[in-house]
Amino acid sequence: MEGVSYQRFPKIKIRTVRDDFMKFELRDTDASIANALRRVMIAEVPTIAIDLVEIEVNSSVLNDEFIAHRLGLIPLTSERAMSMRFSRDCDACDGDGQCEYCSVEFHLRAKCINDQTLDVTSKDLYSSDHTVVPVDFSDSSTGFDNTENRGIIIVKLRRGQELVLRAIARKGIGKDHAKWSPAATVTFMYEPEIYINEEMMEGLTLEEKKEFVDSSPTKVFDINPNTHQVYVHDAEAYTYDDEVLKKAEAMGKPGLVEIHAKEDSFIFTVETTGGIKASQLFLNAIDVLKQKLDAVRLSSDTVEADEQFGELGAHMRGG
Amino acid sequence: MVGNSNRNDETKAEEVGRKTWRPHLAEEKDYEALRELFKHHIDSFDHMVEHGIERMLLSIKPVEVFDSFSNLKLRIWFENPEIYPPQKERFSRTMADALYPFECRQAKLTYAGRFMIDVKFQYDDGVSVREKINFGQFPVMLKSKLCHLRAANDPKKLVRHKEEPSEMGGYFIMNGLERVIRLLILPKRNYPMSMVRNSFRERREGYSDKAVVIRCVREDQSAVTVKLYYLNNGSARLGFWIQGREYLLPVGIIMKALIDTTDHEIYVSLTCCYNEKYDRVKGSVGTQLVGERAKIILDELQNMSLYTRAQCLQHIGEHFQPLMAGLEKESYSVVADAVLRDYIFVHLDDNIDKFNLLIFMLQKLFSLVDQTSVPDNPDSLQNQEVLLPGHLITIYLKEKLQDWLLKAKRTLQDEVDNRTKKFELSSLADVKKVIEKNTPRQIGAAIENLLKTGRLVTQSGLDLQQRAGMTVQAERLNFLRFLSHFRAVHRGASFAGLRTTSVRKLLPESWGFLCPVHTPDGEPCGLLNNMTSSCRITSYYDSKGKVKDFLEVRKSILKVLVSIGMTPSLPKLVQAGPPEVLPVLLDGRVVGSIASDIIEKAVCHLRRLKVAATFAIPEDLEVGYIPLSMGGAYPGLHLFTSASRFVRPVRNILIPPEEGNNIELIGPFEQVYMEISCPDGGDGGRKNVFPATHEEIHPTGILSVVGNLTPWSDHNQSPRNMYQCQMGKQTMGFSCQALVARADQKLYHLQTPQTPIVRTKTYEKYNIDDYPLGTNAIVAVLAYSGYDMEDAMVLNKSSVDRGMCRGYIYQTETIDLTEQNLRSDRSQRSFGRSNLDRSTHHLIDSDGLPYVGQRISPNEPYCSIYNEITSKVTTNKLKGSEPVYVDYVAVDVKNKKHIQKANIRLRHPRNPIIGDKFSSRHGQKGVCSQLWPDTDMPFSGVTGMRPDLIINPHAFPSRMTIAMLLESIAAKGGALHGNFVDATPFSSSMKKNSVGSESESSSLVDELGSMLIARGFNYHGVEVLYSGVYGTELTCEIFIGPVYYQRLRHMVSDKFQVRSTGTVDQVTRQPIKGRKRGGGVRFGEMERDSLLAHGAAYLLHDRLHTSSDHHIADVCSLCGSILTTSLIQSQKKAVRDMIGRDLPPGRAPKKVTCVACQTSTGMETVAMPYVFRYLAAELAAMNIKMALQLSSGPGA
Repeated sequence: MEGVSYQRFPKIKIRTVRDDFMKFELRDTDASIANALRRVMIAEVPTIAIDLVEIEVNSSVLNDEFIAHRLGLIPLTSERAMSMRFSRDCDACDGDGQCEYCSVEFHLRAKCINDQTLDVTSKDLYSSDHTVVPVDFSDSSTGFDNTENRGIIIVKLRRGQELVLRAIARKGIGKDHAKWSPAATVTFMYEPEIYINEEMMEGLTLEEKKEFVDSSPTKVFDINPNTHQVYVHDAEAYTYDDEVLKKAEAMGKPGLVEIHAKEDSFIFTVETTGGIKASQLFLNAIDVLKQKLDAVRLSSDTVEADEQFGELGAHMRGG
Repeated sequence: MVGNSNRNDETKAEEVGRKTWRPHLAEEKDYEALRELFKHHIDSFDHMVEHGIERMLLSIKPVEVFDSFSNLKLRIWFENPEIYPPQKERFSRTMADALYPFECRQAKLTYAGRFMIDVKFQYDDGVSVREKINFGQFPVMLKSKLCHLRAANDPKKLVRHKEEPSEMGGYFIMNGLERVIRLLILPKRNYPMSMVRNSFRERREGYSDKAVVIRCVREDQSAVTVKLYYLNNGSARLGFWIQGREYLLPVGIIMKALIDTTDHEIYVSLTCCYNEKYDRVKGSVGTQLVGERAKIILDELQNMSLYTRAQCLQHIGEHFQPLMAGLEKESYSVVADAVLRDYIFVHLDDNIDKFNLLIFMLQKLFSLVDQTSVPDNPDSLQNQEVLLPGHLITIYLKEKLQDWLLKAKRTLQDEVDNRTKKFELSSLADVKKVIEKNTPRQIGAAIENLLKTGRLVTQSGLDLQQRAGMTVQAERLNFLRFLSHFRAVHRGASFAGLRTTSVRKLLPESWGFLCPVHTPDGEPCGLLNNMTSSCRITSYYDSKGKVKDFLEVRKSILKVLVSIGMTPSLPKLVQAGPPEVLPVLLDGRVVGSIASDIIEKAVCHLRRLKVAATFAIPEDLEVGYIPLSMGGAYPGLHLFTSASRFVRPVRNILIPPEEGNNIELIGPFEQVYMEISCPDGGDGGRKNVFPATHEEIHPTGILSVVGNLTPWSDHNQSPRNMYQCQMGKQTMGFSCQALVARADQKLYHLQTPQTPIVRTKTYEKYNIDDYPLGTNAIVAVLAYSGYDMEDAMVLNKSSVDRGMCRGYIYQTETIDLTEQNLRSDRSQRSFGRSNLDRSTHHLIDSDGLPYVGQRISPNEPYCSIYNEITSKVTTNKLKGSEPVYVDYVAVDVKNKKHIQKANIRLRHPRNPIIGDKFSSRHGQKGVCSQLWPDTDMPFSGVTGMRPDLIINPHAFPSRMTIAMLLESIAAKGGALHGNFVDATPFSSSMKKNSVGSESESSSLVDELGSMLIARGFNYHGVEVLYSGVYGTELTCEIFIGPVYYQRLRHMVSDKFQVRSTGTVDQVTRQPIKGRKRGGGVRFGEMERDSLLAHGAAYLLHDRLHTSSDHHIADVCSLCGSILTTSLIQSQKKAVRDMIGRDLPPGRAPKKVTCVACQTSTGMETVAMPYVFRYLAAELAAMNIKMALQLSSGPGA
């Protein structure tokens, strides 16, 4: 640990941010950090999801477990999640997971009384806590028709069928069950560096240039209609599929373009389930990651560390 | 096909898009095609009910009871059968309610209706008196004309009756179980088949191995097989079966007995097939030897001094009188007539026809012997037909009724003869009383029994090869399995034991009729076949649902034949034989002969008439024209109109499509000699020498329904398609839609199934989407984590969390207290719980039944039963090792006071876990080896997608399931474009055929690849993936895309077996076997051998002794016995019991004495397997003493 410091100061540049979507650059760090962030965002940022369902009446066509499972998968707004307690650690309710610090209660009561099929949706879930409610997609600007959007369908009822239940939502992480995962997609790619060997490129005919440009299924290169010059249209569209390199080789011009992945800069795409805002998800992820590292550092020389962190602890101690 | 590029015409693409859009939600469900698959079952049953039984009753001979005292004669016969639709048992008797199938399933009843027959009595020649007698309950096939569901073809109506919206019927409900009558292969009826079999030689001295065999079938479906054997001396014998014994008669006698004829006539008829002019010419079948043989046959008659018909009849009558029941007092000629009528060529009524047929058979036999024709292959589909449910029941019923009538006659005769009793034959009441005693209801019971057990209880054997396994349960494991039960044809149980494999061979004759892919591997391979999707079976109904009038049909066929130029055989004249003219047989009757130069034209004409269907010629007429050949099959024109033949549609290209219908139904017999081209993208394998006259409608017609569901099966190695046919039938799918109304013992159900993106046309045709059986999983093909070795597969845990491949097993427990009451003391039991013991009250309601939705853990009670006499409460405890949920409780309310019968349906949730089996649709099965965390799965940098499932690339090279790779690419493209992709096999061959030679337009891969390119994906379906653990790019591009995966029903939860200690065998004290009882896995001798080979002595000792039946025995070193030692009871008994018997003696030595030696000195303890002591005891029981010699080792 002594000696040269490898400390770097990663930078983040946010490109796009929406409620449930974010795209940003992460620079001056390496794949381990980028991947750690990705993994934490998917599996370890806590959210709230329905975890316990008490069914009073269920005369619907779906059975109790099916409905319970569907309820669990409904994303709930989870801004509170970071400050909530895991019900297993909750000392206020002694672990039975039904106190205000670690749980939120929901009620659902639906009965179909006419001949029209009744859709029971996430909007029929009544929460005891107004901060924790099923995610409402109607305000998203993605073009959903608001009149039709009635939330996530839980079950459809026909005349006479009824569903009454009580559900407890708890804090959890995606590692335990996918329903607690706040992220729909988190992915990153290495930023590509593309050099066009202009000299060689000039040696191509327009036909060949077009062929070369079209060889990539994504639009990475383009041809300037005036100068007939090939230029990099969108470097990030490159998927590292080597199609253009293979094409260049097939054309007998190896080295026509050179593409390298920058080892230290990443482009992240984060899409959330709607439970947490994308930006918040990222911040929470950093928090969680920090907490994890703190836990390692704090207990680095205790005996428990060995039990808790095993090899990692030993590694941290320089073993 | 998916448009091969984005250049597609906009409007056309839209149209196609709309058409393929959610095909599973077709607005008006049309189940016609699906019902067609089940039709042969229903049609045959319908015909039986409507006409078959009635006709059969006519052929049952009336019985006569004769009172010699009063000289009164009573004739009894059957008439006018009636089967009523199933009705409920009623107590009010005013109005009987209809009994519906779902009620039978739930209450474990039999779906059957009352069976009544008019029994007619006639004294002497007086007026006949009718008496309706109840012959019990007759099982009713679902969707037959008697079934209440027949009228309800509308899905909504069916759903109202708690059936599947697509309910097809075709099966019976026996005690709540759905049973199907298996289709059995039988020899083709009324076709004389030449055969060579070594077993013929063993008939008697002088018999050769050659014979011509004909299975004659009467109008009422009962069959009699007649064999014409060739004798080494040139003569022939006719063999037929009477009451389970074969009788052999010289043909000459039969010929002469049949009609008044002369030796010369017989000679000429036999030798007409030989003409010196045509010796050794193509198509000539006769040789010089025929004449000699004819002489021998006639000489035989001379030797027996039988010259005239009367003498021959006399001869037959004399010999057969003892066998013919009811003809004991008749004259010999009457008996002989009966023999000829009832046992020889029973499909013909006229003796002249029989004579002609016999001549034909002799000629065929002689030609076989002279090797001018080859034997027919009885294993080939060409010479086969099927046994249909209705026909089986008819012949079984006939025998049962015949037996019943004979028995009734015998009892009546006994009563008449027994003068002591008060019985008047003249009193109808008395007669009826006796008849009622003869339990007429047993008839219905016999049919029920046949359907329940599949066993035929018969004396005669009904001319069938097997007596068991006639029915099977139609399991609803999934839809494909259910459907296959109705499409499967079995070769017969008698062939299963055969050591030769020739019967199992896939013969070219079965092309288009039996699916070459859909047959199980292993034991029943090739014996249990499946009909192709286009194959049908002829019935007594024509396409318009009207009953065929065979008399009319035959008449019109004859008329047509004569008009074409056939010489009818009736005004008898000597005819020539092949190659000049060919004999024409219509349903096993020689109707004439036709000149060989006009026959081709005649056949063509017949086919035209057949297709036109305007004429009285049925569309399923089989025109079996066997052309002249050099030593090929015996030539002739065989026409068949009968039922239960295979037929399939092909296109007759000689008929221009403008003429309308050009689809012809052909049978396997004629197919062999037809020129049918199959579209293959080229010339269809045709040469100009034999121009095609017919054309396959689509090459997929050779595959069964299940075989047709494999996408692009033409790109797979064929065994993989076979495996898929097997696995498709073991898939956990959406087994039924009427789940609420079902009480099956076990039902597998997938929670969230999907319809495949890549699908064949068959999915839509048969509405397979009503019962989907899989999930479109994102499959990555790579070696990752090492957990995907050897066909293991890694599932994404998050995908499973989100519900992928979740399923349930529904298990119904039926508790019938009346049954229990009968078995034990007659104590009255009812459901009820104990009021004293409240420990079960959270599980069981006050009615003794569980709460619906309640979770029950193993060993917890799920229902309790109150015994009203002993006032004891017993509970039924849940077996197994997993918790279940109560899904549904149904009670039988027939007995309103005390509920006696209850169905409790339990739900076992089965989420995918390590050890569960999955498979793609290409015979690629694998076991889940890990539920891998989502974060550790490789991910795509572009889309962020993680696969649901990882399989190893090694699954491909040796198995060559290219279609799976295609499916992955196609489904990816389909998913990206929002389309379903058509993957009908052989479609490329069809396309090129219709378009013509539009150059090598584009290969399938091009088509699929361009779909991906259009959406910015790699042409080959690969993607750059990043390691989920390290975040670095994987060195290879990974093949990834959606593949339809099926979850198979084999799950670890049903199979795992583990034991540390537990119950032991009573006798040997070794661990017991059996998973259910908590037994162990056997450590057998081979396992022992391996431990020995390794020298792992301690382990060996541990497994075979310490952990098995370790035992310490006291041995008397004086006499060496281990049996004579006995413990002396001391005061410290309690202490010793606590230590336990098997432990070595503690500080205080046990007092053990030898009873034989009367001393306790020299007692030693020896460790041994307990079975050794058992062996000693067994030997002692045989008076053998076993003595042990103890060497003074360290312990001694």
